[in-house]
Amino acid sequence: MIKVRIPTPLRPLTKGQGEVESQGGSVEEMINLLDSAHPGLKGRLCDDKGELRRFVNIYVNEEDIRFLQGKATTLKDGDEVSIVPAIAGGR
Amino acid sequence: MSALRIPQAILDDLVAHARELDPFECCGLLAGKDGTVQRHYRIANAVAKDRQAMQVFDDAQVKKLGDLAETTRAEVAYFMDPQEMLAAFKDMREKHLDLAVIYHSHTHSPAYPSETDVGLAYYPDAAYLIVSLENKSTPDMRAYWIKDRRVFPAEVQAI
Repeated sequence: MIKVRIPTPLRPLTKGQGEVESQGGSVEEMINLLDSAHPGLKGRLCDDKGELRRFVNIYVNEEDIRFLQGKATTLKDGDEVSIVPAIAGGR
Repeated sequence: MSALRIPQAILDDLVAHARELDPFECCGLLAGKDGTVQRHYRIANAVAKDRQAMQVFDDAQVKKLGDLAETTRAEVAYFMDPQEMLAAFKDMREKHLDLAVIYHSHTHSPAYPSETDVGLAYYPDAAYLIVSLENKSTPDMRAYWIKDRRVFPAEVQAI
């Protein structure tokens, strides 16, 4: 079992839950399984080509997956995944 | 949406944060319960050092920022340091607080969200607060709700 932390903007898709349980051997598999349980979630995280949207940060046990293997990062039972949209702005 | 209640000491600290980093933009988060802010998290503006920072902006903005020296980028844009954000969210979870306000400063322009600010506003349940140092002696502070790219004023009550 993998614990996934859902940010407030995506909670309408998880019936308001801030934490959901999922499975999957990689971040990519986990996203596909999450989308089966909570339809529409993948579209918010990934673009049409299935690539992670550029403002979406994903952490596995507080490690940024950009510094691991991106969406191919492997997951194991007991891992905690956090999804955190970037916060940015500018003129 | 009802008025946000923010302790005066935190409002003063937002201005202090903006002044400390001037001419660079500061940024951070406020958390609380039921619209009453209790905690202030200063977050580093990582726009000049994080390689992902440039990618969150649209192509026109990337071009504009790319033409600037790295340090100058932080005068016109902000990107919250991802690790510091993660730590702040963890602290909120442990204290059972909700994200209430996302703030940043404008060091040369009014306290109104720019087109880029609106396009990158992914948290519709948080108010976006801007501290403007356009007039250095009288800082201006205003808050907004940004939903589906539409901007509504948010009322702030000092407590």
